This record gives sequence, structure tokens and C-alpha cells, in this order.
Amino acid sequence: MAEVSVGKGLTKGIVKFLVILGAGFAALFVLKGVLAPPTADGYRFFPVIGSRDWIWVVAQTHLDFAAFVLGVPIFAVTMEFIGWRKGDPRLDRIAYDFAKLFTLAYTFTAFMGAVFLVSVPLLYPKFISYMMQILGYTWWIYLGVMLAEVVVCYLYFYSWKKLKDRKGLHVFLGGLLNFFGLLLLLITSIWVGFMTTPAGVSKTGALINRWATIHTHMWLPLTLHRFIANIVFGAGIAAAYAAFRFITSKTPEEKAYYDWMGYTSATISIGVSLLLPGVGYLLGVEIYSFNEQMGIQLMGGFFAWLWVMQAMLIGAILFFINYYLWISLHKMPGGERYYGQVKYLFIVVLLGYVIWITPHDIALSLSEARRIGAYHPVLGKLGVMAAKNTAVILSYLATFLSFSIFRMSNKEPVVPWAKAGRVLKALIITVSTGGVLFLGVLGYTVSAEVRVGVLSPIQFSLFFIAILALFLLDFFMYRGARIIGEPRWGQMPERSQYALIAITVTFTWLMGMLGYMRAGARQYWHVYGIMMNKAPDAYLPTAGVASIIVTITTLLFLLMVAFVFWSIMRLEKFSERRVTGQ
Amino acid sequence: MKKGVLKLALIVIVLNLVFVYIGLEYLPQSESKPPKTIVLKPGISQADLVAIGEKIVFGKGQCMVCHSEQPSTTERAPAMSTIGAEIAREAKARGIPPEQQLFEALVNPGAYVVKGFENIMPPANQPPTSLTDGEIIAVAAYLQSQGASVTVSYPGSVPLLKAQEQKAAQAGAYK
Repeated sequence: MAEVSVGKGLTKGIVKFLVILGAGFAALFVLKGVLAPPTADGYRFFPVIGSRDWIWVVAQTHLDFAAFVLGVPIFAVTMEFIGWRKGDPRLDRIAYDFAKLFTLAYTFTAFMGAVFLVSVPLLYPKFISYMMQILGYTWWIYLGVMLAEVVVCYLYFYSWKKLKDRKGLHVFLGGLLNFFGLLLLLITSIWVGFMTTPAGVSKTGALINRWATIHTHMWLPLTLHRFIANIVFGAGIAAAYAAFRFITSKTPEEKAYYDWMGYTSATISIGVSLLLPGVGYLLGVEIYSFNEQMGIQLMGGFFAWLWVMQAMLIGAILFFINYYLWISLHKMPGGERYYGQVKYLFIVVLLGYVIWITPHDIALSLSEARRIGAYHPVLGKLGVMAAKNTAVILSYLATFLSFSIFRMSNKEPVVPWAKAGRVLKALIITVSTGGVLFLGVLGYTVSAEVRVGVLSPIQFSLFFIAILALFLLDFFMYRGARIIGEPRWGQMPERSQYALIAITVTFTWLMGMLGYMRAGARQYWHVYGIMMNKAPDAYLPTAGVASIIVTITTLLFLLMVAFVFWSIMRLEKFSERRVTGQ
Repeated sequence: MKKGVLKLALIVIVLNLVFVYIGLEYLPQSESKPPKTIVLKPGISQADLVAIGEKIVFGKGQCMVCHSEQPSTTERAPAMSTIGAEIAREAKARGIPPEQQLFEALVNPGAYVVKGFENIMPPANQPPTSLTDGEIIAVAAYLQSQGASVTVSYPGSVPLLKAQEQKAAQAGAYK
């Protein structure tokens, strides 16, 4: 890939983008003329599966790729920057590998984007016409920014070797790439924000205030949530790539490199995911402040059981990462000292999981509501947020401890206060766990307002303070520590890599499900409360149907990602052959 | 190598199958359909009004999203099982007819919020719920039936409801 000159690579990228976009517009133009006109309500129907499910699959697959290509450059350039400042070629290599991934994935993103571009105006012409009337100018800005993003992306990737002695300039290009990525995120969140929490229009949808149509309740918290989630997701895909390469590697050197890459990517993914509950909370607050009914419907109404599903999925991710870290102890000289301790962490994660997936009672009928009362008689005490928040936080704390044990397992502190440091560490863990538990129990005795507005933020803050304190304590305590032995990178059983793949699969499924819930919050509205969706499939399907579609999008996306991985390997082989002249 | 890749593909497929199985077999299967407008016949009996109102409260109206059936310490909105009696009590305390209290609560809920609760209720006659006059009267009948005697009727109560809607519009409650 990179042996192509900068000019040639750049031209290839721009031409590819323009061809896909041009084909999209041409298809739109031609199909508009060929297809029957829309119904009086403004709909055309996609054959067999219906318009809603078609758009659902296309949009989600496009969003998965978009999350990937916007997320990966953030930590690719971070790695490149750190590698440059530290003079570490391994970090530069991993950054380059990340760049390979997202540059190739751009083509798929653009392709799915073009399918989306053709499908929505054809199937929902009236809705799109309204959106264009209100926010049409943002769409043209979006196209301009997208083109700039493509130019900088290809420039960034193809100039990697040419600018190896001008790293500052190259890192700047990476920064510019992320700047455009952030702009794209801001623009797309304007559309979703307006559809879900509209503002700046009258009850009949007439434009009143243009800025208000942009600066909706959801806009910035959604952008922030997507920004963080994209990093988590992108790093997850990078970890899957590393796992794939580890399994297919033939030399110990390659295995060592991809083992390290998998570990680094998974650490970024899980580490950054710690921020998600916090930004998710901000998003929730904005949805509630826009419309309490929508907030409650989303959190405790029709979607309540999907939150139980979400708990299962995140709990599964925590299990996979803990499992990976526990296996990883085997490659750390000195890791055997901690084999006994991890079983207690397992118990904490398991208990947390059990509480987390305990459903709150959801009355589906009047008779059921009367029979059950306010809460389920047995599970009610565990099914409420007071218990769930506590369980989640303690599971995350246990996961952080797994990570901390792994990182320090091959070291022995030599600072004179090492013993006191260990006591302090135990104290931080005990106090933070006790504090989180105490606040959780206190949550049962206060109003929902105090629990959500005061106690939950204190619980999360306590958790963040605890992990920060533990991180800093480890940092100072293990400075100049005696190294028992270097990590034996590459000496990992294959099953450890399956755990990494499982994390990525679960993340992708989770993204699909949460994407559906976010869109479903609008119920039978194109623009909530302003423009009704009158199509025959404008209803929320059962959890089972939603699961099937999420599974289809997940498999479709992962199939395309597998193709990206395979293409990279093919291109590498091709480059090697060219270099060796075979 | 090939075996490893196959195992990997198998994990991807098995995990997806597990997730879809949970979604299909372990989660309750219900759809959320867009509501249909209920047209009331003039002179409909109060018993029928109450029955229709109950359907709306538990369906189209989405009232149970916030209101619980039984009173609890963590309730966001007054419990349904005693709401009729509560409305009558509040109306008496304010010195207004219970019907006025009832319709005001439904179409202009921010005008008077019962002590101990937040101003979170959206007007029932506005999007996204957009109940018709007849539907609101049916809901009012059901609410009254929960601990008080039913005094509203259709179309007899329409003028009183319209007056409350007008008052709300003038106060800017529907902006």
C-alpha cells in the first residue's frame, strides 16, 4: 500500500471518493425516474424486507464503519506522537498499522454511505425534503468536510515514509485528520439531534430559529458520547485485527508484535470505555430535560428489557477482558504470585454481573401491575438503579485491579516505602469499595432525584478518584522497580486471542442495539413531535426482531472488516514480493 | 493457521447466535405500534368511558411510563390506584370543581403541580401523545374512577375541557 507515491495515493483516494459519490448521485437520479412515484404520505417501499429494515441495516453498517474510521485515527496519531517523542519505533509501527486499517476501511465507509445516500431520499422523499429544508446546508458542508477528510487521510497514510524525518509535519496531518473527523461527527449529530430532540421550529415544523435547530438538547452530548464510543470501538477493531494477525502469524517475532498490539488496543478500548457511563449519563440528562416522557420511555418503558440485554453484553465484555488479563499473567515472569488473588476478582465481577442483569419489574399489563405492585417482590431490591450502579462500578473496579495486577506483576518495588504503599493501596481499595457500597444502600432510602442527581455522580466520582489514586500510587511505587523478567510477548495461548475477538463482536452488537434504542426513542416520529412517520412499518418491533437485525448488521460489518484484514495481508505479501523481486 | 481462523469465525458466529437467542427467547416480545385515534359516540355511558380511558392510560397515553400503579416512595408521579381521590382532594383544597382540576392536570399540567412532585408531565393534547378531546375525557373518567365518583361525560364535558385548553394556550403552555 505505502509503496505508492504520495501524489498517486492521494489521487487514488480522491478519485475513489468521487466515483463512489458520483455513482450514488447518478443512481439516485436514475432510480427516481424509473421507480413509481411515492405514496401521498411520501413513501416508497423496499421490496421483501420493507424500507425500515433496509435503512436500518444500511445505516447501522455505515455507522459501524464511520465509528471505526473516525475512532482509529485518534489513537493512531496519539501513538505516532508518543513514538516520535520517545523515539520508540514499535509505537510508530503500531500507528502505521492502525493507519493502514482505517485508510482501507474508508472505501467501505464511503460505499455504505453511498448506499444510504441513495436509499433514504428514494424511500422517504417527504421526510428528506423536510430535513433538507431545515438543515440542507449542513449536508453540503458535510460533503465538503468529507472530501477534506479523505484528502488528509490519504495524504497522512501515503506520506508516512516520505515524511519520516519530518514527524512534526506528519503528526500535524494526523491532527488535521482528527479535526475533520470531529467536524463530521458534529454535523451528523446535528441531524440526529434535530430528529430526536427538535428545536427551532414551530409545532407544524416551520423554521423559527436556525441556530436552535442545530444546538438541540442532544447535539453536543451525543457528539461527545459518539467521540468516546468511537475510540472504544475503533480500538476494539484494532484489537481484533491484532488477534487475527496473531493467529495467522508464522514467526515468533510477528506473534510477539501482534500480541503486544492486541494488548495495547484492548487497553485503550477498555480504558476509554470507563468514560462512557459518565458521558452516557450526560446524554440521558439532556434527553430527560428535553422530554421527561421520552427519557423514561427510553430508560424504563418499552426499552427496559434491552437495558437488561445491554447489561448482559457489557458484563460479558468485562468477563472477556478479565479472562484475557488473567491468561496474560502467564506470560509475565512473577505473574504466578497473583494467580490466587484473581479468583476473588472473578467473584466480584460475577456478583456484579448477576445484579446487573437482574431486571426491574416492567408491568406489561394492568393485571400484572396490580399483581406485582411497585417492584418485583423478590428481585425488586436488586433490579433498581441503586443496586445496579453499585454493581457496575465494583465490576469496573475489579477489572481495573486485574489490569493493574497484570501491569505490575513482573515488577518488585524497591522504594523504601513499598510496604506502606501496599497498605495504602489496600486502604484505597477498601475505602472506595465501602464508599460505593454505602452510597448504593443509601440510594434505597432517598428520592430518585437525590439518587440520580447526587448519589450516582458521587459513586462514579469515588470510582474515578480511586483508580486515579491507584494508578498514581503504582506509578510512584514502581519507579525504578526491580524487573523480575520482561513480558514474554507472543507466548500466549490462542484462546486469549479469542477473548479479544469476543470483545469486538460484543461491542459491535452492543453498538447496533444501542443505536436502535437511540433511534427508537423517537417511536413513530421522523422528527419527534413534529413530523409523524406514517409508513406501514413505523412501529418498534419486538426485542427478538431487533436482535435478528442487529445480528445481521454485526455479521455484515464483521464480514467486511474481515475482508479489510485479508486485503491488508494480501497487499503486504504483494509488497514483500515486489521488494524481494519474486 | 487455517484452523485458528476457522475457530475465530466460529466464535463470531456462535456469539451472535447466543445474543440473538437471548433476544428471541429471554426478552419479552412486544411491539410498540403507533396509536390509533379512538372516536367516541356522543352520549357514551360512563362505564364505557372508563373502560376506554383505561385502555388509553395503559397504551396510547403512555401514562404508566411515569405513573406507577401502587404508591411507592420512589414514584415520579401520583400513583394510579388512588389518583381519583387525590384529584378530588386537591380540587377541594384549591376550591375548584374536580373536573377543572382534572382537565387542567391533563392539558395544562404545569399550571398546578402537586406538592412533592416535579413539573414533568407533558400536556396530553400536544405531541407526542396528541390525545383528542374525546380521548382526554375518557382518560379523565378513568382517573376519577380510581378512588372518586365519575362526573365527566362525553360530549357534556367538552366545553370545560376546551376552556382549560384555551387557558393553557393563552398562558403559553403549548409553545
